[in-house]
Amino acid sequence: MLRVENLGVSSSGEDILKGLDFQAEKGGLYVIMGPNGSGKSTFSKTLAGHPDYDDYDGSIKLNDREVSALSPGERLEEGLMLGFQHPPKIEGVRIRRFLNDVLENQNGYDNQKAREEAISSAADALGFSGAELDRGINDGFSGGERKRLELMQARLIEPDYLILDEPDSGIDVDSLDLISEQINYLHGRGTAIILITHYGDTLSNLKLNEVEVHVFKDGKIVKSGGSSLADEIEEKGFNRIYEECGCN
Amino acid sequence: MVAINTSTSTMNVPGIERQIEELTEGKDEPEWVTEARYRGMRKFESAPSKDPIISDPLDFIAKREETPADDIESLDDLPDDTKNLLDELGISEMEQKALQGLTIQDDTGMIDSSFREKWEKRGVIMAPMEEAIREYPEARERFMQLYDPGESKLAAYHTAVWNGGVFLWIKEGVKEEIPLHLFFLIQQEALAQAPHIVIFAEPHSEIKLIEGCTSPILSRHSLHLDMTEAYIGEGAKVDLTVLQNWPEYVHTRPTQRGKIAKNGELSITSVGLGPGKSNITDPRYWVEDGGRVEINSIIMTKEDSHVDLGGKIYLEGQGSTGINNSKAVIMDESKVITRGTINARNSHTKGHISCDALVMEDGASMETYPGLSSQVDDAELSHEAAIGKIKAEELFYLMSRGLDEDEATQLIVQGFIEPAIEDLPEEYLSEIRKIIELSVQGEM
Repeated sequence: MLRVENLGVSSSGEDILKGLDFQAEKGGLYVIMGPNGSGKSTFSKTLAGHPDYDDYDGSIKLNDREVSALSPGERLEEGLMLGFQHPPKIEGVRIRRFLNDVLENQNGYDNQKAREEAISSAADALGFSGAELDRGINDGFSGGERKRLELMQARLIEPDYLILDEPDSGIDVDSLDLISEQINYLHGRGTAIILITHYGDTLSNLKLNEVEVHVFKDGKIVKSGGSSLADEIEEKGFNRIYEECGCN
Repeated sequence: MVAINTSTSTMNVPGIERQIEELTEGKDEPEWVTEARYRGMRKFESAPSKDPIISDPLDFIAKREETPADDIESLDDLPDDTKNLLDELGISEMEQKALQGLTIQDDTGMIDSSFREKWEKRGVIMAPMEEAIREYPEARERFMQLYDPGESKLAAYHTAVWNGGVFLWIKEGVKEEIPLHLFFLIQQEALAQAPHIVIFAEPHSEIKLIEGCTSPILSRHSLHLDMTEAYIGEGAKVDLTVLQNWPEYVHTRPTQRGKIAKNGELSITSVGLGPGKSNITDPRYWVEDGGRVEINSIIMTKEDSHVDLGGKIYLEGQGSTGINNSKAVIMDESKVITRGTINARNSHTKGHISCDALVMEDGASMETYPGLSSQVDDAELSHEAAIGKIKAEELFYLMSRGLDEDEATQLIVQGFIEPAIEDLPEEYLSEIRKIIELSVQGEM
């Protein structure tokens, strides 16, 4: 269980998250929507342990353990992973080498051969030929390739909770298909998905049994509902939703 | 950087004279060579003292090794501590894999090597410098020709007390793919190791030379004052890699001079992951028509280490090219300065200077002073510099995938350095990675 209570985060003197409550169960599917600047990315980075937001108010508990003292790596070990909205380019750090190091820290990958096989099968699943893996992390990658590399890492790590910050923005149609497929795959294996998106459309590619949709505004969740809420947002836009809920 | 006071004695010519006597005693050195030493000695006093760290090179006594080592037939014949050092550098393993040239200078004595014969049959002459200037006119003609002993106190001192070194002569048209290794080890305290190296590549020859430098732990500052003169013939290609792993008390003053004839190529990659207490160089290269010189410096500095990389490239001939790249990882209180210059003196010449630095701590510093000058109107000269810290976003990204801060920092540093050295044999690369892992720690 990931339980966020009354989360408050500020940056450069400005309050960004203002008393936010959220919880996610293992295996669940959660969608977070909201306009730019409503605090979605800050929320995801705070959960993952970004150094800019490590001094928060309220509490974030992962399996009943407060995460404030945990480094980003320790949070991953506890089962929480963030797929970045803007994964950075890190020149010279070859993807293959990096993934090997990542797997060395995971259970069940003690031998080189197991790591190589896992990397090659995850690469296939995300539409990478071997050659791209010999490049630096995100070096020369398109938006779609960057997002696919995030999902490829999620596939290797198999976290209990996967926050995906706009995996569907700035990408081509083929990448969107591969990414949706991976989200379904991971969800099917029991990973809880916390999907941050602008587009209600993205959901139509996902296998939705039960989904919780949360709408952000000014650092808070102002409305929650099922998949029909996403359709409503797609149809009416955020402003009308805010008007209707009186949280304008 | 505070200049280290190494000076207990004062600069004096009699001090050098004693050293020359000690070096030449019972050695049967040709008179003209000894005379050259005395010329260096006489120039010493009037030569300008340009070194910001070493006020008096005489604190670093040069002397001949008292008991010359036995001939080396294989690595097994090396003294144990030397062998261990080579192991640390990953050399023994390489040596066992292929038949390679390996010659080692241990302090000021030259350890000979039976590899020489094998190489000679292939058209590569490798001889201790002392022997070469007696045996080969080709060596004599090229000995101490590319610099002026009066240009600095250290140049004068090197001229007076040079000891050891090699003459490497690649015959016309000989193309050698196996790299040749040359190693320098400092084992005595307060020792000036001043090898003199002459590389003579005849037209259309090709060779790769790997030079390694290291030292076991000693208690006092030592000085490594080598001089390399390279003569690259028409269409010849020489690829020189210098690996330095000096401990933090060794001062290194490598000097390189290179003349590159028409369409010749000289490529020098120096990797200084332990550049010592201080490392100051001012190499110079003259490039003829269509020739090319490329200098790549990769350095990682720690503690209060002081590195100052000069480098002057003179594009003398039409269509000649000069490249000077540096990459530095600067830690603790250390300081790196780069001041490469390229002078275009003929048409259709090209030159580029680049400087990239990762400054790891607040006390560490980097300065770069690229210099470009042209006497023609169609030269293409450019420079670029990027000095910065590790980006917090990069570190966070790697850490969010389960690496701890040290691992993430090491990976970024390796990624910064490796593209510059990816042509090195894998054994060296894995060794370099190990050195980075031992040296680099996160700072978040």
